[in-house]
Amino acid sequence: MLALLPQAIIDGVLLGGIYLTVAMGFSLAFGVLHIIDFAVGEWIMLGAFIGLIFTKWLGVDALLSLPVVFVIFAVVGWLLQPLLHRVLSGSRGRPVLMGLVFTFGLALAFRGSALTVFGIFTHSLDTVLSQGSWHLDWGPFFLTVPLIRLAGLVYALAVILGFNYLLKRTDFGLAVRAVAQNKEAAGLMGVDVNRTSAAVYGLYVGISAMTGVFIGAIVSLNAGMGPDLSIFAFFVVVLAGMGYLAGVPWAAFLLGLIQSFFLIYFNPSHVLLALFSILYLILLISPTGMFRKGV
Amino acid sequence: MQRRGWWVAVVLALALGLSLAVGPVLAADEFKIGVITSLSGDLATGGNVTKRGYDLWGKAVNAQGGIQIKGKKYPVRLIYGDDQSQPAQAASAAERLAVQEKVDAVLGPYASGMTLAAAPVLEKYKIPMITGSAESPLIWRQKFRYTFGTIPPVNFTGSAVIKTLAALPGGPKSAVIYGTNDAFSKATAEAFQATAEQVGIKVLKFNILPPKQDLTPLMSAAKVLKPDLIAFGGHDEELINLVKVLTQLDFTPKALLMHYGVTEPAFIQALGKNANQVLGASVWTGSMQTKGTLGWPTAKAYADAAVAEYPKDPADYTQAACSAAGLVFQAALVQLAAVPPLDEAARTKLVEILEKIDLQTFYGRVKFATEGDYYHSNAGLTPLTVQILDGKERVVAPAESAQTKLSYPMTPWNKR
Amino acid sequence: MRGRPAWLWILLVIAAVGTVPLLIADAFFLRLFTEALMWIGLAITWDLMAGYIGYLNFGHGVFFGVGAYTAALLITKGGWPFWPALALGGLAAGLVALVSGWPTLRLRGAYFAIGTWALNRAVGQVALVLDFTGGPDGMRLPPFLHPQFFAYVMLGVVGATFLILWLLLEQAPFGLKLKAIREDESGSLAIGLNPAWLKLQAFVLSAVPTGILGGVYAYWITFIDPSSTLGDLITDQAVVMAIFGGLGTLIGPVIGAVLFFSFKTYFWAYLSDYQVLYLIILGLAIAATVFFLPDGFWGTVANRWEGRRALRKGLSLGQAAGT
Repeated sequence: MLALLPQAIIDGVLLGGIYLTVAMGFSLAFGVLHIIDFAVGEWIMLGAFIGLIFTKWLGVDALLSLPVVFVIFAVVGWLLQPLLHRVLSGSRGRPVLMGLVFTFGLALAFRGSALTVFGIFTHSLDTVLSQGSWHLDWGPFFLTVPLIRLAGLVYALAVILGFNYLLKRTDFGLAVRAVAQNKEAAGLMGVDVNRTSAAVYGLYVGISAMTGVFIGAIVSLNAGMGPDLSIFAFFVVVLAGMGYLAGVPWAAFLLGLIQSFFLIYFNPSHVLLALFSILYLILLISPTGMFRKGV
Repeated sequence: MQRRGWWVAVVLALALGLSLAVGPVLAADEFKIGVITSLSGDLATGGNVTKRGYDLWGKAVNAQGGIQIKGKKYPVRLIYGDDQSQPAQAASAAERLAVQEKVDAVLGPYASGMTLAAAPVLEKYKIPMITGSAESPLIWRQKFRYTFGTIPPVNFTGSAVIKTLAALPGGPKSAVIYGTNDAFSKATAEAFQATAEQVGIKVLKFNILPPKQDLTPLMSAAKVLKPDLIAFGGHDEELINLVKVLTQLDFTPKALLMHYGVTEPAFIQALGKNANQVLGASVWTGSMQTKGTLGWPTAKAYADAAVAEYPKDPADYTQAACSAAGLVFQAALVQLAAVPPLDEAARTKLVEILEKIDLQTFYGRVKFATEGDYYHSNAGLTPLTVQILDGKERVVAPAESAQTKLSYPMTPWNKR
Repeated sequence: MRGRPAWLWILLVIAAVGTVPLLIADAFFLRLFTEALMWIGLAITWDLMAGYIGYLNFGHGVFFGVGAYTAALLITKGGWPFWPALALGGLAAGLVALVSGWPTLRLRGAYFAIGTWALNRAVGQVALVLDFTGGPDGMRLPPFLHPQFFAYVMLGVVGATFLILWLLLEQAPFGLKLKAIREDESGSLAIGLNPAWLKLQAFVLSAVPTGILGGVYAYWITFIDPSSTLGDLITDQAVVMAIFGGLGTLIGPVIGAVLFFSFKTYFWAYLSDYQVLYLIILGLAIAATVFFLPDGFWGTVANRWEGRRALRKGLSLGQAAGT
């Protein structure tokens, strides 16, 4: 079965790429705004559906809907953030829990709305990349790399690099990092905390919505897909260390590789048991994330 | 101050109780039939299929004025209890229908787990239940006296398709079989495996997977083994995902068999031309040459009536089985010749009638087994092999029901 | 404290509630009554960790599931009678809490939440893959369908849990110690507390009644499977109920459980045509409660009463001092 090794690795990396797309916006929102957004899966789901409507309405390739989806949801996030801010603000106590439950309520409302409007059926997004794959044969080894999954990975890495550039090389990024470190001090330094926070949240929602389009193309979409995605977002981000953006890709790839190897080389019915157990054990050994850089 | 809290709690509890405990029962000019199914929750897709089936029957019966007992026609009123895809709610719904609504009979849930939770409650109140879904063989092994099913257990339906494939000249010689780890899908996959081994198809790999698992690594491993057949037991979303993974990995087996969900329009819509040549299992389609002595006269008449009522959801065999369950009750109630509301003695007699009933319907023959592992299920139906061809479901086996020939092997994805 | 001690009031209320099954014999009502009590029990045990110590246990349902499966296995495979099986279910849950608690309680905040969630899901997978527990088919228990029996058992378990928690949290210093940990865990070391030991005690204390509730559930519903007993729904609903009512008290979750359960049941029984709207309304209600009433219904009401009493007291003191 050694011949399968390269494929196992690639499959794991590509799967990790999907987890990365789900977790990266979420990590940004937590790192900067200290929001644990339970509705991340629902933002992804809604993005997928808007992408579906756009694609069907205009008869175009699904990937062309990405900018439209981003803009729509970034605006929605921008408008929603002040509400979240009020929920999280200090005098109320237990901001983490309050934010969590508030977004949990939003998630239920979104899911219910999606079920009402879009129904219970599963859909799929079509793109020109959906069926293509690269084949590589080298001796006993062979590799099939599905193009749409590769596109998902490229998208994820592009966003991560984009974040990196934004945060380290722009003034806006400087403001964001200031807000993440200490909101009051940032405000005293002249940063418009409210606008910056709203922008970050809008960015997060927009990116998550774009992720929905990719997931709809790679796998499928339906109104109930939110919770499973939210769980993986949490797992990846907690494993990486809450707020430690640089750790997210590693955590995502690790989870993808564990699954891939387990499915290929061990008993597939135990894969989730292995995954959750490994996650649990890593947390026990390293209580603030695997790099010990978590908040 | 804290003490006032107690009284608030007590008052609230009593208020809740009193508001729900009332329910005067008026004299009955109608038969009250309870329906327990998954109108919400994870299983809502399937639950709504059953709802359509039960509703179609209710409307058809009432269009004729109702069920005729002793010269008077009694319309049927369907009273719904949503089990929310949770066993505790199924039991609660059963209790509510029995105690508050005082139903005469119950039409049963989509899923096996819900049936297992509701059945003991209905046994206690001696209310007969017929389910048009719930294919797990577990239910019949419990030998509930008051529970019946119009669908045969999935080991019947599943094994027939494998046998059809084995009988094909140049048919598949090797298989990779997967199933999702839930009661129905696991039973389906196990039926595929057992039959494959029986008919000489080599099972190269057999795995049960956690639900909604990403299938790429598994299919990568399967591709290496080059199986002729891939057989999968799962639900709608997973079936779509499997086909997508196979197209992404550019791996086309000679035959792809999946159960249950191939017959749903969402499957064909989501996959387009990639849905073609996929095989599925069924016990009924609208093309069958069945003749009904009660209700819709032919399979086609039912299929047409279903599409007229629900244009976006053509009837599949689960929906048909549910409408047939209603017809069985109808026939049995006529034979019972008792006026509603039915008391316990009448309902017990109804069960005795159900055990002896032998009814020809648009759905096929309904005759419940009275002993053995398939106690009270309708094991006499002929399982069908269906295939998606040109975006439509077609029966390809057995020969007497076949509409067209089975297309084998599958055309590779990138040549479509 | 004026008049009779609090625990006597509690017993009186439990007794008063206990007359309900005698007065109303409607089996469906009793089923709802029993289920409402079960949720009260789940909400208050969750609140013990979340409200008093500030540790969010997102895997709280694992105790419920362990209790349910232990009792079910003992009854069906071991032929045990109900009561000892139930006791052992609680014990098993307590054992899981003890063993997992020691390492897990070192985690804080979101890490603890995800860690306990991962544990819950891992145990759910164990139940799913083992043939011994029936796998995805679940387990069926011999039916014993006596509504009044279960109503009283549930009332007994939840009432005893409430009483014991009240004594430990509101009367004994234990509650204050837990709250000290919640406010400042490292600081509590400075005043001589042993937070690790206290947290573990609370964790086990929240687990045992939950396990017992699971055992009762198994015998009552007669059918259990991994998704209904080890899934997320148990924890999710307990969390929402506790938040509705208000964290950090025992009465809050009781009120929250009754309110939420009434709303949910009413919708389910009489508005089932609008079931899709239920999710939307529920979601908006949860968001609105957090937004407008972050201390929950009971918490907000209690604060107001407290505020008014303090005001009156302050004014009366002022008067006595002659100002």
